[in-house]
Amino acid sequence: MNKFIKIPLVLALVTFFTSGLLMFSEYSTRDKIAEQKKLKLLKSLKQLIPDNLHDNDLIEDSQTINEPLRLGHRKPQTLYIGKLNGKETVMAIPVSSHKGYSGDIDLIVGVKKNGEITHVNILEQHETPGLGDLIEANKSDWIEQFPNNSLNKTEEKNWQVKRDGGSFDQITGATITPRAVVTAIKKALLYHEDISKNTENKTTLENNSETPK
Amino acid sequence: MSGFIRKRLIDDNAALVQLLGLCPLLAVSNSVVNALGLAIATVFTLTLTNALVSIIRPIISKEIRISLFVLIIASVVTALEMFMNAYFHELYLILGIFIPLIVTNCIIMARAESFASKNSVYLSIKDGFFTGLGFALVLVIIGAIREIVGNGSLFNQAQLLFGDFGGLLHWQIFADYQGFLIAILPPGAFFVLALLVALKNKFHNK
Repeated sequence: MNKFIKIPLVLALVTFFTSGLLMFSEYSTRDKIAEQKKLKLLKSLKQLIPDNLHDNDLIEDSQTINEPLRLGHRKPQTLYIGKLNGKETVMAIPVSSHKGYSGDIDLIVGVKKNGEITHVNILEQHETPGLGDLIEANKSDWIEQFPNNSLNKTEEKNWQVKRDGGSFDQITGATITPRAVVTAIKKALLYHEDISKNTENKTTLENNSETPK
Repeated sequence: MSGFIRKRLIDDNAALVQLLGLCPLLAVSNSVVNALGLAIATVFTLTLTNALVSIIRPIISKEIRISLFVLIIASVVTALEMFMNAYFHELYLILGIFIPLIVTNCIIMARAESFASKNSVYLSIKDGFFTGLGFALVLVIIGAIREIVGNGSLFNQAQLLFGDFGGLLHWQIFADYQGFLIAILPPGAFFVLALLVALKNKFHNK
């Protein structure tokens, strides 16, 4: 057969076959992948928004926010809101720190209505193994000092590691990473305080506007 | 052990003798479970690409053979990536970029070009499987040494690979082990690989 016909023909045939393989794989894994992602997400939210504090569909009630200044976001992130009988109880606030030792540290902080932390989840970090990565819950219990704390219990200026005069433990050999995480958590708490105030103001305003003039 | 298998597992081992595929070998070998996950994926890919290349062998012409190999390898790896994402999601998240990067593992291209495009389907599958196994063995051995020296444990987080049963495999060899950081960090991979290559050269004469 003529070479100029055979070569494109062979290429087309093999491309057709490999595309078929990819279509088949995509088709047969699509639902499972979506399900796995959802499971993973719900699992990671479980500690942030405990089951006894919400009865809503967390994924349905989530919001997209983008707060580069207040929360260090580089792209829009998802804010999860736990509600009990339609009333907001817990908020899981995503926050990023650019002050880590190696790249961004992404975390998500669960904050109750009264400003208390439920749990802090480290989503992504590239800190030094054995030193900075001790912030991860499965590597050390450092992160356990935050749950139940709040801006009421610890003054804003004390949201620092002990070395900087604050009230949180650092990690021996790694100062930069804990400093970054503590600051990020503080940012999340301040953000929570801010928007709680705003929604209160909003409701009072709305109530006022309802009164006839 | 027949010469064919022995050659691929030991004498001409892809990782220890040909020193191919070093990027994943060094990067993912910081624990047995990570190493095993990538090892299985690589054996699977290599067997399948070798088989496919060998099947289309009669219609391959010299001018387009590389394009065809690339097409086949890339598709197989992409399909594998989707299946791992669906059924070994946690492990998929840990191995991350190294699954798609199997595409660039030169062992796979080397076997397609130098073996599968010239031999029968049966022999190509055998070649792919045992070459892959040779690579996998080295990967897992390095992973084990680094995990023992670096963490004092073996099969940490094995539940990612074997489900709930895997959690039972976790074996803390030295209690209260302080860790030996450099073994986990990238330089440790070079040290352990160098050690294995040196040991092989010393005790194993062809």
